Amino acid sequence: MFTFAKAWVEDRSSALRAVTSSLPPSRSSIPPSRSGASVALEDVCLSVRADEGAVEILRQATLRVSAGEFICLLGPSGSGKSTILNLIAGLARPTSGHVRFGTAPVTKPGPERAVVFQDAALFPWLTLRDNIEFPLKLQHLPADARRARSEELLRLVHLWRFQDRYPHELSGGMRQRGAIARALATDPAVLLMDEPFAALDSQTREILQGEVERIWSATRKTVIFVTHNVREAVRLADRIVLMGTRPGRVLHDEYVDLPRPRAANDARVAALSTGIARRIASEVEKVAREEADDAWVAPGDHHPGDPRRQLGRGI
Amino acid sequence: MQDGTLPRAIAITVARLLVGYAIALIVGVPLGTALARSRVAKQAIGPIVLGLSSVPSICWLPLAILWFGLSELAIQLVVVLGAALPIAVATENSVRHVTPSIERAARTMGADGARLMLTVTLPAALPGILGGAKIGWTFALRSLMAGELLFVSGGLGQLLETGRDLGDTALVLGVVVVIVILGRLSEVLLFSRVDRAVARRWGVEDA
Repeated sequence: MFTFAKAWVEDRSSALRAVTSSLPPSRSSIPPSRSGASVALEDVCLSVRADEGAVEILRQATLRVSAGEFICLLGPSGSGKSTILNLIAGLARPTSGHVRFGTAPVTKPGPERAVVFQDAALFPWLTLRDNIEFPLKLQHLPADARRARSEELLRLVHLWRFQDRYPHELSGGMRQRGAIARALATDPAVLLMDEPFAALDSQTREILQGEVERIWSATRKTVIFVTHNVREAVRLADRIVLMGTRPGRVLHDEYVDLPRPRAANDARVAALSTGIARRIASEVEKVAREEADDAWVAPGDHHPGDPRRQLGRGI
Repeated sequence: MQDGTLPRAIAITVARLLVGYAIALIVGVPLGTALARSRVAKQAIGPIVLGLSSVPSICWLPLAILWFGLSELAIQLVVVLGAALPIAVATENSVRHVTPSIERAARTMGADGARLMLTVTLPAALPGILGGAKIGWTFALRSLMAGELLFVSGGLGQLLETGRDLGDTALVLGVVVVIVILGRLSEVLLFSRVDRAVARRWGVEDA
């Protein structure tokens, strides 16, 4: 079973390589495949002003991601996972501290750091193909080079047949694959994924996780993937950065040393997931407590229930 | 009507309408965009725009006549004011409600400033702006008719007034029918094609 899966993935990735190499390099100003670059956050704090004074979103976050690494930021809501992504993307500026891309400081968004959003964020007035070509147009790539590149990407995400569809005519999973293709269009060094599969059903989600793993294996881009799903993180990441909440901060790193490709229902994935879930349980609980009223009881707490049902127990 | 009064009146009215409406679009869309995007603009002129848009634009005719006399300019001022304000209000609303991730996605691809506005924000706001543009069109037509009725102007409005002066009910009703046809025709020629394109792209639910 495992060897079969491996053979399947190898087959897919060699097909991918064939597609990549078939692209005539002279026609594209973008190098065929740029692999990842390193990213670093140093003592980054971010506060925003609100009605009740300054709210601390992120406290003293330090994070180093090496080139080609696949990391997952994992934590409950309010832990600043998406904030870290926005900081790296250049969509937000830190209150203090430094954000670096390679050796250069990040000052504004740029096509070398592409983002895949949870809602795909495809442009509704453009066909799928025009969506993928949009970032290339911004870079003033000639039309034939754009077509070649978008064809390659449409085939990479298996949406070639649907190139002339508008986003509303595609399913959620197809839209998300389209968004991944669009993010890859400018051949970024870093791929930032902000809970890209959170709104999908679990089957589609698993298929897309496989796609992301395959694309990452083939391109060796640096991937920073935000999720609140422990299994997803264990399935995908080389390293999981656990995040705490109130205020958002980096807790610690968890290395995932399992062979790829991984399956979500693999026993080792499940075991590691359970361990990690336990480690962040207190943080998750903190959020749940704040968002629920006093009658809420944490799953870990002892709940006596009706004493009559306990009769005879423990004899 | 063999003497060509009607065709001439229609031509005058349609020309005025198109010119006034074009100016209203050129003024209204940027004004609405500025209101949506600039705090200063919103605080400085937002209340004025909202207030003025609830004033029937024909109220400006006396002032326009005082300023510009009985001229083309006076009547255009009324048409432009009547149409530009609803267009601006609708544009402001729809630009404000563009899905944030759409603009953020475009920014990560390197679009910013005017290019972001022209290639992403305004297309994304198009369904809403189109709604405002339709309202603007009917407002322009109404303002123009009212304006033409009130002074010697040569358009369909004046023809209506002539009909009243002569006690010619047939002429009055005839002109009304012409105006109805004009309204329908503009709907078919101007908006239905854009409407269909928007429906095709955004899906039927928003169009």
